[in-house]
Amino acid sequence: MTDARWVGRSYETEPFVVTEQSIRDYMAAVGDVADAGELVAPPTYAMVYGFDAYWQLWTDQEVALDVAHLVHGEQRFNFQRPVRAGDRLRTTGRLTAINTRGDMELVTFELSARDEKDRPVSDATALFIIRKA
Amino acid sequence: MTAQDFESINSGQALPSLTKHITVEQIRQYAEASGDRNPIHLDETFARSAGLPGVIAHGMLTMAFANQMLTDWLGDRSRLKRLQGRFAGMVLPGDDVTCSGSVASKDEQTRRVVINLVVTNQRGEKVLNKGVAEAEFSIQRSDNHAT
Repeated sequence: MTDARWVGRSYETEPFVVTEQSIRDYMAAVGDVADAGELVAPPTYAMVYGFDAYWQLWTDQEVALDVAHLVHGEQRFNFQRPVRAGDRLRTTGRLTAINTRGDMELVTFELSARDEKDRPVSDATALFIIRKA
Repeated sequence: MTAQDFESINSGQALPSLTKHITVEQIRQYAEASGDRNPIHLDETFARSAGLPGVIAHGMLTMAFANQMLTDWLGDRSRLKRLQGRFAGMVLPGDDVTCSGSVASKDEQTRRVVINLVVTNQRGEKVLNKGVAEAEFSIQRSDNHAT
């Protein structure tokens, strides 16, 4: 069981510089290669520029989530503006809740991404389920 | 991509569905592109030791398919304002997943539409449910605008 005292802990990514190659690699990986001229990242590319915030949570040795038994339960995104090559995005993630449901643990992680002018780009809520070992 | 016309959208209308075949190779490619190299997605032995039937696809790969269904229909990725869903079942290599959606409501004032969506596997089991998306159609500049 993860210690509830870690609720409130937050993590911040270094600025993620969006490149055309990174967008195209993501598009190829998910098979979404439609191109309407100007290259706009698929909205779910938020997982790429924000990934390091998730990674910091999963690898935080103090919080010590049982990541071997962790699965993604739910995901919500709001997109304030499209993302293009050249954007420098910084994502903050905050562990906001640890609950139990039966023998499962539910971990809520809320994220917010902002650009170099501190304008909002996207926000997200992830719910992770940790199954009993 | 052909841009969807807001005026022609009707509440209740179905979006064109999108089917994807899942392979080990695609899961590996997604792990590389996203950075998420959790071994439950990549290492068969590890996945089994974690109590899974084998490697599973990232939930966010399934959500990316739902995202594509939406933006293929919208014709413009910048129109998508909200996307959410619950990962209701595991997706394994060899599965065929189908994304489908329908227009739940349309607001003429805000020029927004709400779409309900679901992703099912080849057995008809839901792998993503409670899917909701919202799109905004910005007002086009009038052609006869006086300058």
